[in-house]
Amino acid sequence: MRVIDRYAFGNALRDVDPSQKGALALLAIILCLALDHPAVGILTLVWMLALTTWRARTPLRVFASVLLTEGAFLGLSVAGIALSVASSVPEAPVFAWQFGPIWVSATHKSLMLAAHVLTRTLGSAAALNFLILTTPLVDLIEMLRRMRLPEGLIDIMALTYRAIFVLLDSLERMVTAQDARLGYHTLHAAMRSAALIGSCLFLDAYRRSQQIQTALESRGFDGSLRVLPLDYRRDPRMWQIGVGLTLSLVLARMIA
Amino acid sequence: MSALLEFDDVHYAFPGSAIPALRGASLSIATGQRIALTGRNGAGKSTLLLHANGILRPAKGQVRLDGAPLEYTRRGLLRVRRQVGLVFQNPDDQLFSASVLQDISFGPMNLGLSIADVRRRVAEAADLCGISNLLDRPTHALSSGQKSLVALAGVLAMAPRILLVDETTSGLDPWMRYQIFAIFDRLVEQGVTVLLTTHDLTVARQWADTVVVMHEGRVVASAPPVQVFADPDLQALLGPAP
Ligand SMILES: Nc1ncnc2c1ncn2[C@@H]1O[C@H](COP(=O)(O)OP(=O)(O)OP(=O)(O)O)[C@@H](O)[C@H]1O
Ligand SMILES: [Mg+2]
Repeated sequence: MRVIDRYAFGNALRDVDPSQKGALALLAIILCLALDHPAVGILTLVWMLALTTWRARTPLRVFASVLLTEGAFLGLSVAGIALSVASSVPEAPVFAWQFGPIWVSATHKSLMLAAHVLTRTLGSAAALNFLILTTPLVDLIEMLRRMRLPEGLIDIMALTYRAIFVLLDSLERMVTAQDARLGYHTLHAAMRSAALIGSCLFLDAYRRSQQIQTALESRGFDGSLRVLPLDYRRDPRMWQIGVGLTLSLVLARMIA
Repeated sequence: MSALLEFDDVHYAFPGSAIPALRGASLSIATGQRIALTGRNGAGKSTLLLHANGILRPAKGQVRLDGAPLEYTRRGLLRVRRQVGLVFQNPDDQLFSASVLQDISFGPMNLGLSIADVRRRVAEAADLCGISNLLDRPTHALSSGQKSLVALAGVLAMAPRILLVDETTSGLDPWMRYQIFAIFDRLVEQGVTVLLTTHDLTVARQWADTVVVMHEGRVVASAPPVQVFADPDLQALLGPAP
């Protein structure tokens, strides 16, 4: 969370209008799903990787580690599609292993399907990663505000986002304080300490919400969090990139 | 000197607590003063400040601004909060937005200024506090000293006539403290009244022109530092002077 957040705030596309970046990511996802071909999925991934590392200058390492984390979950579910576990072997398996009475096997068809799902999902995930690695939540919330989402909803999102970090800080302090008093010395102590933190953190969050309310009131709060709109740069290159992306993906689909 | 802000025999008990936090606190503040409000933990300093801009309402007694009692209506409160700015002890309790710029803009936006005026106010406040370079940084990536400055800027952007600061300078390094006091001095030059609660008797002695001492919910002294620190009873109350 903190890593993603840090790069979201520090990348070279930070000041580009979030609706442009959002539209590009959405376009990529729609194309990826609509054209529905492994080549398209892979090409989308390449595009997003290039945009994130080359245009936004986010290290490849960061993009890769976020994608691999998602990939690990994906891999597990895709394995379920690729492999079949049964007491008999299906016709024309690509491979089949026997474990006692059980056969684990995969057919050409199941492997193709798995590859299909995997590439399609990875392509879409990469597009989302491009968005979250280049656009901090502050900007995404601002984008939703401009799309005229209900104010109350926007306010809650903004407050929650800020509160997450304040609570993370409290959490760290509490854990350190417990640790310093041997709170995590044994497994038993660790479990008790962790349980205590749960309730402390809740009380802390409650107290803080009251404090924030008081502080907001003292600055004239009357029910809605009015703030200045943020300024962004419109990047003409984003349109060109959008066109290039569309053309290349359609082309890939036609060739493959 | 005519009184700018007056507390007249203010009583207050927090809901559910048996012992009242304020038991007849009276204090008069004039324009252009630099006041250090001190007293032991739990003496009622923060509670008094919360009465100054109408967050809390006295159970008995009165708070007056420019001689007129505070009105606890929406318009009355907005008028008070426009003039009396309050900076809280912990910046994390005050900063609600993940965007420094948006947080500072919150107060002036509530004053109903135009976007252009708000932008100007934000820029001025940020400049005064020396945080213009932090405006596009996320709040959670700031150090605690920087957060204090942002919290201060958020209040100064409302251009208050009275600035009440609750313990912001504790936990700051000497350089940062120096910065903050330089800001206070600039404000006083501009005619703003600055009141600071503090446990730091050096601050009370050297920076303030008036030291106010609270004890058990009452104001027990309000006088120039030399006078306060010469009083053996107050000395005993506050602890050994530096
Ligand atoms: N939210 C609250 N609910 C109940 N009691 C409170 C609350 N806030 C403060 N009190 C009580 O009111 C009294 C005055 O508290 P206050 O915070 O005004 O003291 P203070 O002078 O600011 O102390 P410190 O120097 O520790 O900041 C204390 O006895 C405190 O326990
Ligand atoms: Mg206090």
